[in-house]
Amino acid sequence: MSNSIGMKSGNSQSGKRNTEKANRQWLWISIAPAVIFLAALTIFPIFNLIGLSVHAVEWEGGKAVYDYVGMRNFKDLFAQDPVFWVGVKNTIVFAVCAVTFQMLLGFSMALAVSRAGQVGRGILTTIFLLPIVLPPIVIGAMWRLLMGRDFGALNGIVTSLGFAPVDWLGNPSLALASVIFVDVWHWTPFVFLLILAGLESLDQEVFEAAKLDVKGFWQELKFITLPLMMPTIIITMVLRIILSFKVFDEIYLLTSGGPGTATEVVNFTIYRVFFGQDRVGAGSAMSIVTLVGLVLLITFSQVIMRRFRKGASV
Amino acid sequence: MKHETLKKSVRTTAFIAASIAALAVPAYADGDQPDISIVINQSPWLDSFISVVDRYEEETGNKIELDVTPFGGLLEKIRNSVRADVGTYDIVNVNALWLTEIYAGGFLSPLTDIRDGYTLAEGVLDYGATTHWNHETNSFDTSADLMGIPLNGNVQVLYYRSDLYEEAGLSAPTTWDELAANAAALHEPPSTYGFVPRAARNAVVYNFTPYLYSQGGSVFEDPASGNFNVTINSPEALTALETYLHLTSEVAPENPGAIAQGELIQLLATGKAAQAIAVIGAWGNLENPDKSAVVGLINAALIPSGPGGSASAAGHWVGGIPNNISDERQEAAMAFLDWFVSQDVQIGYVEAGGVPIRGDLAETSIGSDDRFRFIEAYGQNAANAVMALPLKEGAQVSDALALRLNQAVIGEISATDALNAMAADTLKILTDAGYEVTSLSDL
Repeated sequence: MSNSIGMKSGNSQSGKRNTEKANRQWLWISIAPAVIFLAALTIFPIFNLIGLSVHAVEWEGGKAVYDYVGMRNFKDLFAQDPVFWVGVKNTIVFAVCAVTFQMLLGFSMALAVSRAGQVGRGILTTIFLLPIVLPPIVIGAMWRLLMGRDFGALNGIVTSLGFAPVDWLGNPSLALASVIFVDVWHWTPFVFLLILAGLESLDQEVFEAAKLDVKGFWQELKFITLPLMMPTIIITMVLRIILSFKVFDEIYLLTSGGPGTATEVVNFTIYRVFFGQDRVGAGSAMSIVTLVGLVLLITFSQVIMRRFRKGASV
Repeated sequence: MKHETLKKSVRTTAFIAASIAALAVPAYADGDQPDISIVINQSPWLDSFISVVDRYEEETGNKIELDVTPFGGLLEKIRNSVRADVGTYDIVNVNALWLTEIYAGGFLSPLTDIRDGYTLAEGVLDYGATTHWNHETNSFDTSADLMGIPLNGNVQVLYYRSDLYEEAGLSAPTTWDELAANAAALHEPPSTYGFVPRAARNAVVYNFTPYLYSQGGSVFEDPASGNFNVTINSPEALTALETYLHLTSEVAPENPGAIAQGELIQLLATGKAAQAIAVIGAWGNLENPDKSAVVGLINAALIPSGPGGSASAAGHWVGGIPNNISDERQEAAMAFLDWFVSQDVQIGYVEAGGVPIRGDLAETSIGSDDRFRFIEAYGQNAANAVMALPLKEGAQVSDALALRLNQAVIGEISATDALNAMAADTLKILTDAGYEVTSLSDL
């Protein structure tokens, strides 16, 4: 009896193992296409970039000649490339300023829309979302025309008020601020959209219950809305910081990195070296350094988010 | 029933076979050459080139397909085609800035390899020998291989407002001092700027070249002989930069460091610029009543001279035939290029708004036509055109020079510091690339 029970138990365990094995196999088979796809489109280019970064690539007789140079491209970058590091500094300034303004404005706009009536909400949402649906090339051309020194509409207003025209894009002290302004105009609707979705998903019962304890809009904002919205705010901010570090089109279209190095950003330097100068090795080294910087930033932001979630759950 | 099916099957097979055969045989249309394709930039003179292509198709029956691409993406398209095993394009339209990279990379067939003994026809300009490449010295050299045919001669000329000159009793300047004096006489900002430079970072090297060479300066000692010793921080270069900075700070708009080609042409077309050194390719727009407020009021002249004579910067385009296409396609491309350079075709090209690639059109019917009053000045400037950076590292050196020149224009550094930094940066680029070169002592 005990034997037969033992056999039954053995059979059932072996059957369970077979099922688990089959499940595992099926799991691997089902995710294999996605893994291969990801590897082909994401991981392979990164390894290719790493490979290129330790080479100097020349073209002779119509054929590419790869000359292994070890870490020379990286050494040159850290020791002798002032333009790249100015670009790093400008990119950080750009990201911090642009994201700060976008978060403040986007949050305020989302709050306004969430409290507006049905008609007002539709109108405001349409107006606020307009910049994000315009293609970057249109935005660049439009703002270049608006900010032109001699013929720009902004200076038309400035001079009609009796002031001297402002050199929005040609003054080294103003150019980066002007580009940041355009980026804020362009991307604030993105923040607005995510924050609005977050606000509308909040449990209204919490607000009802809190009415006894909090007085007025500011207290509600400080003690109820902001704490509840913090995960959405952090995710939105991280997304915007990552996207801000990728800025290229606005710089390319508005200032081409000038005047001087006033609006030089990392991606524009990489573009110039990689494509303009055709120095594939040096451009790859710059890309790797930028990639590592971004990975560190993302890791850091994830640590902060995890800590916040831990704190929130306690 | 079976018989019907068999007939149907035979018909289908025959149709497929005929289709495959039709695809396999090169397309010759009605002419004696296979169809060819040209990759070319979107530009103000594109319509004139299209009219010439239409005429070629009409006269010969041969077909040409144009792949029109914005300037920003053209180099990548050219690279992708010439670096592939089999090229997409039969003629690549290469800007002067990219010639060294494309020539030195070995992507083009010397034209003599396609047609034995072929040379540039008399009267066709070579824009500072840029149609020839010496693979030994890695530089332009008229005695070396002929690599391409110019398709557009977009050199710089001096533009001036003839009506304002007449009112002020001025004449076209022949020296830089005269240019500055004319500019001072006409400078009434913000309605009129005496002189407008093109000193944005991405344009300033090209714009500064005439100043540098007319003062007897240069970036390299003797590139044609392969001597790339760095000479950009010479006393002559300092005089040139000081002349340039005087114009940009005294008689120009307040934002010279942000003026690129678009802004410059806009200031000319709206009548705000009294004088400028700009590409001749802008002429068509300035004479177009839909785009210009100064139609008939603009004239062109030889760029002012210094101790080194007058100089213009080459910004032309050269049509090259890649190695990686079939012999038949190379011959068809050659047939078009050879047809294109004839004087008769070039007159038609100018009449359609194009910039010619011949220097002998002033003596033809269009030389006395007021609509084309730029022709004489164009021919003179084109004959003086120089390539300041005739080496394959040209783009890298250009970026280094551009940064320092632009910083000098916006007042971040002095002329002396700019030139010394340019020399140091250039020396480093060349030394890293394996050149054995020296530079002058700091100014």
